[in-house]
Amino acid sequence: MITAKGLYKRYRKTVAVNGLSFEVRPGVVTGFLGPNGSGKSTTMRLMLGLDHGEGETTFGGRSFASIRRPMNEVGALLEAKPFHPTRSARNHLRMLAAANRIPDSRVDEVMEFVGLGAVKRKKPKGYSLGMAQRLGLAQALLGDPKILLLDEPTNGLDPHGIHWMRDVLKSLAAEGRTIFVSSHLLSEMQLMADELVVIGKGTMIFNGDVETFVREFTQSAVVVRGPETAGLAAALKAAGATVSAGPSGELLVAGMELEKVGHLAFTEGVELHELSTRSASLEEAFMSATGASEQFAAQSPIRSVDEKGGVADA
Amino acid sequence: MRDALRYEWTRLTTLRSTYWLIGVGLLCSALIAVIFGLAAGDDPLDPEILSASINGGAAFGIPFLAVFMAIIGIFSTGHEWRHGTIQPTLTALPQRSRLIAAKIAVVAAATLAVTLVSILLNLGVVLAFWGEAPGLFEEPLSAALLGYVVYTLIYMLTGLGLGLLFRGVPSALVVIFLMPLILESLIVGLAMLPALDWLEPLVKFLPFTAGSLLMTVGPVDLGMGADFGFFGRWGSGGVFAAFAAVIVGCGWYLFKRRDA
Repeated sequence: MITAKGLYKRYRKTVAVNGLSFEVRPGVVTGFLGPNGSGKSTTMRLMLGLDHGEGETTFGGRSFASIRRPMNEVGALLEAKPFHPTRSARNHLRMLAAANRIPDSRVDEVMEFVGLGAVKRKKPKGYSLGMAQRLGLAQALLGDPKILLLDEPTNGLDPHGIHWMRDVLKSLAAEGRTIFVSSHLLSEMQLMADELVVIGKGTMIFNGDVETFVREFTQSAVVVRGPETAGLAAALKAAGATVSAGPSGELLVAGMELEKVGHLAFTEGVELHELSTRSASLEEAFMSATGASEQFAAQSPIRSVDEKGGVADA
Repeated sequence: MRDALRYEWTRLTTLRSTYWLIGVGLLCSALIAVIFGLAAGDDPLDPEILSASINGGAAFGIPFLAVFMAIIGIFSTGHEWRHGTIQPTLTALPQRSRLIAAKIAVVAAATLAVTLVSILLNLGVVLAFWGEAPGLFEEPLSAALLGYVVYTLIYMLTGLGLGLLFRGVPSALVVIFLMPLILESLIVGLAMLPALDWLEPLVKFLPFTAGSLLMTVGPVDLGMGADFGFFGRWGSGGVFAAFAAVIVGCGWYLFKRRDA
């Protein structure tokens, strides 16, 4: 179990992490979501005492700095390629293992486990980003810890690697370990995470399970399609629903159940070709939740004058 | 603490640069003794030549071994930031003071061992050319020999402290080369000009210049007969040690306070 209380970090005038408190339970994968620059890495560094700030984090009831030989309790992967370029991958792990009384046999074991057994005596400077991430995971698993903190571990992995990482983390969680993993790959989180901690500009946006997040941050709409729906739209509005036009002319009805919309169409005598409920994806929920809190928002691409809504229309 | 020492020993011995820096340092130092032997092997061996042959020319202002050990010191701390390994290091060993104490202990022990090996190698060269090393274990040569060991150790610690202070390698390298070779030589030279004689009292506090006095076997003469009122062998060594202590102390204090 990880317990974070009142985490706060300020860089001069910028508040990077603003009073974050959450718990990460064992036995499930907890995803840590947020747009770029939202403070995910800083939060993880605060949790491990790498950065100085306010608040406290305990791992199984103890602060990280107070744990003797911490790799046996908490495994961490925070940065891609934190290796000396000419020290072999095996020696890099042996060096860290030496501080935690972990035998060399375990070093070889984890390198085989992450699929780097054949290149363990090679220098990491020749590793691809994906191989470096695997070495990072080997580093985190070195002490067979009960708690894992992984910052963007799927960065640089190919689809096979991502699939493998997902399966590894899920199986580690199934063994009763506590897994806290950050990612900006929402589809990844949808497949991997059971619980979510979502932040934007260093502030907590959501903490709970994935389904609740989707439900809370998206409005499900009833889709109505037919040859002549203008009259029905007026009747729906009169009945208190919010009606908007979809991209292909369909009606999107919010604030009214599907059955009531169907009944109203029936009483109005309107011919329908589609009557369905549209449920939102995690990505839509994420965009809805964090849209206003993006730290470094880019501009939308400029559309050509030939396109509807392009610059000539503005 | 033993875990931290084990970590630092593995870090030091799994780095290829450790071996070639030590190798080049030993070789350069021994080559100076060979050059002295070739140039003056037929003359009687005077104490100054004997001392300089044993310390590889360090007493003449070319401290090869000390410089190479200082680079190892810089790497011991600076590499952690240059290659981003400070993050895995602190997640393996979060007690920061223990980490720095282990780095100082291990690299200092390695420096002592390498310096003793270098002394033995150079002594071998001296015996090969002159067949004797008269008065080596008597005053003032014995004190100069001990002074050489202390000088190399302090030089290395200055490098380690600079790597820690600057959290990188290039700036620390610039300071370790620029300060003794250019800055201090410049101040000593300028202090000899009558118009700038107010610089004279400062010269005895120049750390690397003062440190080199640890290895003297006769009266100090930095040229043109100027007398800078140096503190003597161990007093001057104290100036050098105090400088290293300030650098290491500041680096250590900031390392505890800064984000990793």
